[in-house]
Amino acid sequence: MAPKSSDSQSNLLNQSDPTTNGSIDPVFHLVRILPYSVLRAPRLRLKLPSLSLPSPMTVFSLVLLTYFMVVSGIVYDVIVEPPGIGSTQDPVTGTVRPIVFMSGRVNGQYIIEGLSSGFMFVLGGIGIVLLDLALDKNRAKSVKVSYASAGVSSIVFSYVMSMLFIRIKIPAYLR
Amino acid sequence: MPPQTMSAKTDATIGVNGTAKSASNQAPPPMALPANLKSDLLNKLSLKSFKLKTKQQELLLRVSILFLVYVLAFITRLFSVLRYESMIHEFDPYFNYRTTLFLTEKGFYEFWNWFDYESWYPLGRIVGGTLYPGLMVTAALIYWGLRFLRFAVHIREVCVLTAPFFASNTTLVAYFFGKEIWDSSAGLVAAALIAICPGYISRSVAGSYDNEGVAIFALLLTFYLFVKAVNTGSLTWSLASAFGYFYMVSAWGGYVFIINLIPLYVLVLLTTGRYSMRLYIAYNCMYVLGMLLAMQIRFVGFQHVQSGEHMAAMGVFFLMQVFYFLDWVKYLLSDKRLFETFLRITVTTTVGLAAVALGVGTASGYISPWTGRFYSLLDPTYAKDHIPIIASVSEHQPTAWSSFMFDFHILLFLFPAGLYFCFKRLTDATIFIVMYGLTSMYFAGVMVRLILVATPAVCLISAIAVSATVKNLAQLLRTKSKVTQGGSSKAASGSKASSKALLDQSQPFQRNGAIALLLGVFYLLSKYATHCTWVTSEAYSSPSIVLAARGAHGNKVIFDDYREAYFWLQQNTPTDAKVMSWWDYGYQITAMANRTVIVDNNTWNNTHIATVGRAMSSYEDEAYEIMRELDVGYVLVVFGGVTGYSSDDINKFLWMVRIGGGVFPVIKEPDYLVNGEYRVDKGAAPKMLNCLMYKLCYYRFGELMTEYGKPPGFDRARGVEIGNKDIKLEHLEEAFTTSNWIVRIYKVKPPNNRW
Repeated sequence: MAPKSSDSQSNLLNQSDPTTNGSIDPVFHLVRILPYSVLRAPRLRLKLPSLSLPSPMTVFSLVLLTYFMVVSGIVYDVIVEPPGIGSTQDPVTGTVRPIVFMSGRVNGQYIIEGLSSGFMFVLGGIGIVLLDLALDKNRAKSVKVSYASAGVSSIVFSYVMSMLFIRIKIPAYLR
Repeated sequence: MPPQTMSAKTDATIGVNGTAKSASNQAPPPMALPANLKSDLLNKLSLKSFKLKTKQQELLLRVSILFLVYVLAFITRLFSVLRYESMIHEFDPYFNYRTTLFLTEKGFYEFWNWFDYESWYPLGRIVGGTLYPGLMVTAALIYWGLRFLRFAVHIREVCVLTAPFFASNTTLVAYFFGKEIWDSSAGLVAAALIAICPGYISRSVAGSYDNEGVAIFALLLTFYLFVKAVNTGSLTWSLASAFGYFYMVSAWGGYVFIINLIPLYVLVLLTTGRYSMRLYIAYNCMYVLGMLLAMQIRFVGFQHVQSGEHMAAMGVFFLMQVFYFLDWVKYLLSDKRLFETFLRITVTTTVGLAAVALGVGTASGYISPWTGRFYSLLDPTYAKDHIPIIASVSEHQPTAWSSFMFDFHILLFLFPAGLYFCFKRLTDATIFIVMYGLTSMYFAGVMVRLILVATPAVCLISAIAVSATVKNLAQLLRTKSKVTQGGSSKAASGSKASSKALLDQSQPFQRNGAIALLLGVFYLLSKYATHCTWVTSEAYSSPSIVLAARGAHGNKVIFDDYREAYFWLQQNTPTDAKVMSWWDYGYQITAMANRTVIVDNNTWNNTHIATVGRAMSSYEDEAYEIMRELDVGYVLVVFGGVTGYSSDDINKFLWMVRIGGGVFPVIKEPDYLVNGEYRVDKGAAPKMLNCLMYKLCYYRFGELMTEYGKPPGFDRARGVEIGNKDIKLEHLEEAFTTSNWIVRIYKVKPPNNRW
């Protein structure tokens, strides 16, 4: 916190004025006596950056980004360091075929599979948000309709894709 | 006392009922003439007189929903009791069962001062001072209560059914919490979601008699009471939250989450300018009383003033006092600039003093640093490099996306939507649930086991999303019908530019759209219920001590080898025999076989475990030396080569090597590896083929035909033919092998009489 009194002090060049006399800051008085009784205080035009709290929706978008990273399994990626995508060699032809979903265990993933699943979850969430925005009263009708359709299609798409992903990953799902 | 402005309860006015007050009360027909007496009596007895007011209807609906949810939460956890029998599952619950048995037999004083010489031979274990007594005391109280009512139950039945009972209670707390945060309909949805959520079911099935079953109830209760205290500012609720915190501390080591989340929440409220007298009362009362109560648990002791993990709470406590002081000075001083200077001085001095105190405390060692278990949550790579025993536990692995999907299903979509609704309507309570949700989701990402802690938050936030969406859609339905009924000129859907004709045209379309969307919501929720039931039935209802598989003809085959082996141990070995096994099985051996073990699941002494690991991975002669030092009479190994069981000791062998090698440099991991992997076939390392674990697992296995068309000695769990088939044991002899070769017990021979 910049001492505002010293700014006014620099204008008056060591002249006493009500604010400096009334100030109860001991450091200010010390500084006033020790170097600045001899030296001339410089004319500064310091402007402290004013910190203001961000708006809730800004925080929400940051939170959504963090949620995307956590749910994609970024901690798993950092610690276990799986490959971006798995590969298997075709026994007959010898070509290397990529495997997107790590099979065999529930708690294992490749990086790309994690990111795509996380994207689906966030898309579903955004779909519900769009649906709520569409039901808001103070918008133009065309905007509402487009929001509603975008929301519904996002939800349907992400749900279908998530079910597809989990069925590929766990073949015995719901059987 | 400086004047404080109470922030208005914004959630109270928004639709507690949610129903439009359209139905009016119908008065019963008056008894006018005696001639009409009979008809009037009939009228009264008819259904018309049973017509309730709207409020009563709503109450009946709510109570019946909660009752059904309560019953649902209980019965969905009973799969394994119905499929197998009423028994305790897994490993840790056996220790809890043994201590509860001790408590009910010997009484609380004996229990609280119990020194157990039957585990960690020859060190023993101070049980009274190293466990969280909440679970045992709860089960014992229920048992004594039932006995008092002359229900002759066995303590095992009480232990098995404690977790489902508390899960049902958690749904009730979730309802009240949801009502506090948003409104009662969100509470109902939250109760329904949490009743069947697999993330919670995984640790609270019938038979899973573990701390978490009770701890999640205590966690949610503490949070609910604290949020209620912050909302009302009442001393009673703060006192209740302190007692809730005490119950949590007595139940689970995860109480550290509460004692760090609540100060963080208070800090966030302070920075967003929501400081109020209610917050001051709630936090002070809860912190001081909660801390004093928590010190009554011996295991926790003085950690609240000495441990680095609890310092955040203390720091925020002092910060609150500074805030109150500054507020009071601001009220006294009329001069703004004077106050600003005073503010600067106070803040600087406070921060300086706090930093000095923290520095002195940490440097002198009075404030202990963060323990490895909790530090690895902040820095997930720490455990992998420094503490292999923490990294080895399968529950401590980081979470992949499929584990999230498995445990949450559509809640993963509803969670960000619920966060959006919470951010739209920020109150003290919604800020809390947002913080709880975010921090717990991060921790759930770091460790699979902590998905359990995130489940209540995810369920509550998802309930907000569901409730708000359904409310919007239902409102769309209702306003449409109102406009068609009343024909009012008020534009209900808010389309400014549309004419009346357009409105009439779009009405049925919007109404149908709203109905379709509502059906879609119900479809998703029904898919959620299906998923949860399937997951509970297939994945989370296995007792782990009894294995099941599908036979060749699709029939169910049960492997009860563990209990067979423990029963053999109990019947055929001397009562003071010591059994050496890997630490996973320690609790089960002491509880069921009633024999002394060398190491068990408490894993409090890393060197002792490393000694056992060293013995298992050394040649037989060196291992015999260690076993003679430890007075071992029997060695128990678990082997899955015949059945294809993959959680056996050969698959855990790498951890024995790592932990043993971490303490004794004579065990070097590269000795056992071939090209960086563990192999048991012909190409395996010679040290691997001759170490004690290999010999004990594969003794006489080379002669066995396990699978049709494969050579004898084919290991079905690893899928290879073993390398060393001709195994001779010099210092041990085979004592017992179970019917499916899963558990093998060897007797340690006494040394030879003469050279």
